[in-house]
Amino acid sequence: MSNTNEILERLTTESYEYGFVTDIEMDIAPKGLNEEIVRFISHEKNEPDWLLQWRLKGLHHFQKSEMPHWQNFRMPEIDFQSISYYAAPAKKTKLNSLDDVDPELLATFEKLGIPINEQKALTGVAVDVVFDSVSVKTTFREKLQELGIIFCSFSEAVREYPGLVKKYLGSVVPYTDNVFAALNAAVASDGSFAYIPKGVRCPMELSTYFRINAQNTGQFERTLIIADEGSYVSYLEGCTAPMRDENQLHAAVVELIALGNAEIKYSTVQNWYPGDKEGKGGIYNFVTKRGICKGTNSKISWTQVETGSAITWKYPSVILRGDNSTGEFYSVALTKNRQIADTGTKMYHIGRNTRSRIISKGISAGHGSNSYRGLVQVGAGAENARNFTQCDSLLIGDECGAHTFPYIEAKNNSAIVEHEATTSKIGEDQIFYLKQRGIDTEKAVALIVNGYAKEVLNQLPMEFAVEAQKLLAISLEGSVG
Amino acid sequence: MISRDIDTLYDQFIADFETKSVLMADEPDNVREFRRHSFEHFRLLGFPSVKNEEWRYTHIAPFLREVYSTSSEKPGSLDQSFLSSLQIRSLDGIRILLFNGKYLPEFSELPPDSGIHVSALTGAYQERLVSDYLGKIADASKNHFVALNSALFEDGLFIRVQDGRRIERPLHVIHVFSSESNMFVQPRHLFVVGKASEVSLVESFLNFKNEAEIFINDVSEIEVGSDARVQHYTIHGGCENARYIHHTEVRQAERSVYNNYKASFPGPAFLRNNLNVSLNGENIESHLYGLYLAGGRQVVDNHTIVDHLKPNCQSNELYKGVIKDEASGIFNGKIYVRKDAQKTNAFQKNNNLMLGKKAIVDSKPQLEIFADDVKCSHGSTVGQFNEEALFYLKSRGIGEERAKALLIHAFAYDVLEKMPLASVKSHINKLIDEGLKT
Amino acid sequence: MLSIKNLQTSVDDKEILRGLNLEIRAGEVHALMGPNGSGKSTLAAALTGRDNYNVTGGQVIFEGRNLLDLSPENRAREGVFLAFQYPVEIPGVSNINFLRTALNEIRKYRNLSPLESKEFLKLVKEKQKLVEFDVALSNRSLNEGFSGGEKKRNEIFQLAMLEPKLAILDETDSGLDIDALRIVAKGVNKLRTNDNAFIIITHYQRLLEYIVPDFVHVLYNGQIVKSGGKELALELEEKGYDWLKEESKERELV
Repeated sequence: MSNTNEILERLTTESYEYGFVTDIEMDIAPKGLNEEIVRFISHEKNEPDWLLQWRLKGLHHFQKSEMPHWQNFRMPEIDFQSISYYAAPAKKTKLNSLDDVDPELLATFEKLGIPINEQKALTGVAVDVVFDSVSVKTTFREKLQELGIIFCSFSEAVREYPGLVKKYLGSVVPYTDNVFAALNAAVASDGSFAYIPKGVRCPMELSTYFRINAQNTGQFERTLIIADEGSYVSYLEGCTAPMRDENQLHAAVVELIALGNAEIKYSTVQNWYPGDKEGKGGIYNFVTKRGICKGTNSKISWTQVETGSAITWKYPSVILRGDNSTGEFYSVALTKNRQIADTGTKMYHIGRNTRSRIISKGISAGHGSNSYRGLVQVGAGAENARNFTQCDSLLIGDECGAHTFPYIEAKNNSAIVEHEATTSKIGEDQIFYLKQRGIDTEKAVALIVNGYAKEVLNQLPMEFAVEAQKLLAISLEGSVG
Repeated sequence: MISRDIDTLYDQFIADFETKSVLMADEPDNVREFRRHSFEHFRLLGFPSVKNEEWRYTHIAPFLREVYSTSSEKPGSLDQSFLSSLQIRSLDGIRILLFNGKYLPEFSELPPDSGIHVSALTGAYQERLVSDYLGKIADASKNHFVALNSALFEDGLFIRVQDGRRIERPLHVIHVFSSESNMFVQPRHLFVVGKASEVSLVESFLNFKNEAEIFINDVSEIEVGSDARVQHYTIHGGCENARYIHHTEVRQAERSVYNNYKASFPGPAFLRNNLNVSLNGENIESHLYGLYLAGGRQVVDNHTIVDHLKPNCQSNELYKGVIKDEASGIFNGKIYVRKDAQKTNAFQKNNNLMLGKKAIVDSKPQLEIFADDVKCSHGSTVGQFNEEALFYLKSRGIGEERAKALLIHAFAYDVLEKMPLASVKSHINKLIDEGLKT
Repeated sequence: MLSIKNLQTSVDDKEILRGLNLEIRAGEVHALMGPNGSGKSTLAAALTGRDNYNVTGGQVIFEGRNLLDLSPENRAREGVFLAFQYPVEIPGVSNINFLRTALNEIRKYRNLSPLESKEFLKLVKEKQKLVEFDVALSNRSLNEGFSGGEKKRNEIFQLAMLEPKLAILDETDSGLDIDALRIVAKGVNKLRTNDNAFIIITHYQRLLEYIVPDFVHVLYNGQIVKSGGKELALELEEKGYDWLKEESKERELV
């Protein structure tokens, strides 16, 4: 096994391929968090007064809040005054066409494999591209508009569809929800907005690509997706960041609203910079994601592949308010080196005949630590609620950890809740079998891990499933021993 | 019922310690020192609130607001018919009777076997084993109620089984609690099971219905020697006016087997069972089985910790709850597999049958794994009667109530079948039937 | 092709193989028989480089290379194939994906370009037909949900796909009914050429009725104590192993 161990170790310590920095002219706000900076951001974005007031409430709540302490890792000290809360590529005029975009920026996204030129774009995927604090380009807007679908940056939505934004912003994740949600409310810079009108099935994948580039900044995007009655949308987000020795904070908020008979499928392939082998640098990915199944027969499905970030801390959740609504959570989280993931979901069963399904696959390698934390709550009025949870942990190497913390709370006696969890080591006999067929350890481990994660990867849109598989294999490189 | 601030009880204990230290002046230095520093822990910790993760689902404050006297009553005369009413039918056990936490040798059977020693804990301070183990297995620094008990326990049992002895007859320890006025009682027990010995311990907990509320905060420490085998049963019955915090802490040495069987029934308004087992050697086996039938507005909370510290051990845990009426059934099970504990097999399961319209079930199984060559799993379910099975029974002419009772017995069977003592098994079956009727 | 000299192997510090010698030339089929615990499967494990099987002495030359210096995957790439006694299940890894990865890894090692999907699938079909293995493979995970017999037949199918020089069949006959046994044997016979060789590890003479060996060896106590032609298998079937044990004891005494 010693040989295998060495390879495993090498596999889990491989370097990060998106760690380059783009040299681009930036407008960066001075460091520090105060009322002035919140007003500056709001002013910079020409926001209406109600939004500024909301931001200020968020700020005041943040200032009153304490850092949580229940998480399964030591909370790093974050100096909120040493972060710059706004960074945008300098722009001379409003962007009208691709020609107005800084060529450096275009090149960056080419390098990342995110084509923002529609001719070169993946067919069937509309992309909103967010660079540090602002959205730089949204593709296929016009085509989507023909169907009445709104897909644009959050700032544009504030200007052009203030009614929708005002109605739903903060309705699923209020600024009082948690300390990072409060921070996000105060300094949210940009993000994506999507509205799918009644009865429309969105014909392409909507996608946002997030890139942190500037130093000493955080990213605080806000995403709001509303699926009106009987509509359907599949949305995907991806992200990368340069390699830096300091930690950078990413505190986003995502709110999903599904009205009657609507369905939202939200997929994340998270590949923020994870820090180096010793755990230096990397993104703190502290994100609040929550959806509400507001109408009857609505459905929200979260799928996440988490391979990046120094610390990933999030629980994409679903409030099952509407009768017969369904919530799903599919997750693969891979930690290696000194990475930490404390992730899972919360399913709040409120309506009658609500269903939820949770499939979580944790993979810990190197010194990585992976925790699943999940809540299944059945309220007193939630007749015939059903939940199934399967949560597995795979261990690669003897320095890692895997933890499972499910919470089951049932207050209605018609509920059926099932939770199962297993933890085991990667099968040595499986590795040997593959080696005997001429497959080396690295590939063997990648095959086994991909097989293990298959149930989740299958939930991703086709184009991204392949990407995610590669990402898992790459992430494992150097971690397998 | 007088309602008052929880701090009042806290203050009462703080004052109590001052008074008691005078009374305890003749205790050996090590015991006094142990009490003193446990008291410091309690002074800092106080009582837990629901903000404490270990008490998240268990609202204890209402039970701490009453006025309790912290000195317990002595029993009056106990007649033979009363004593025999405490027996478990056809269990040929060695009777050991405790009244309000105090050992009553005059009403107990003296063990015929020289391999076993039974006495009051306070009467055994001179024993080396007592100073070796008292307070060394249960950690007072992190647990509010262990700290309180350690500071202020009055008395309890000390049982020692000598190395290499196989005790044929089970020890039947009967804990009776009774008081004319509200009472807060804190028994403390120590069981030391020698190397390669074998013993069965059956503990029954009872109280009688009256107006007085009795709060029992007991702590048992159990040391299981290498190669020893222990079968440990606890049965909690009794009446509404009892509240229990029942803390058991077990430490096992290599190659030992410790099996714990817990059963609790409608009655006591509040029952918190803590069972912590640490597997402190190689090739250990631990089995934890629990059955809780909760009714009325009862709060029943089972907390377990199985701590794998060394390689090549196995643990298996199965807790089944039947929650009726407006009762709350809480399960919190933790499995730790420490870095050294390679080749661990650890399994845990909690199944709940939720019967009452206003019943509440909270289940929190937890795995914390720091070793890699392990096989661990846990599962938790909440559900109801299997409609098909119910229909099948009814279609064979069995009435609804009877059919449900049959299915509950079937549900409980998975736990009961693990119990080697047939007499205890049938006693529990009887208690299930009684519990379903209330 | 294969030359094993004085091979000594121990498991958990227990010596299992105590100086085993065996010469195999291309085109030959060798049957390896012997009672339980004589070291048959240990030999397979030692040749393929399984963990915990420590070679403490001796030498194994395969096609002019020192086999024991190679990693398990390179032994496979050099052309040593083991049909496992207990093929492992790997959930989520499809049979097809696995086979393609294996085949292309071996090709890469031999400086051949990877097979295109079309060619690959053609080859799969062809070989499936050859070894009469008609189980649908594409949508199923490796060995998952296969019956015992199907798993063994899948091993033979992989053998057909990977075309090794030396194939070791470790009790491939165990757990097979007579029909499956016949199909497996037929497959192996079709795969026999003048360029490859087989080691067939078995308890019973039954399999050797269908795959006729050139040589039969009896392994006892970690050594080959008797070698002969195919008739030795019949003799063993008739007389059991006890007489051999006696003989070897006598030899030790001498």
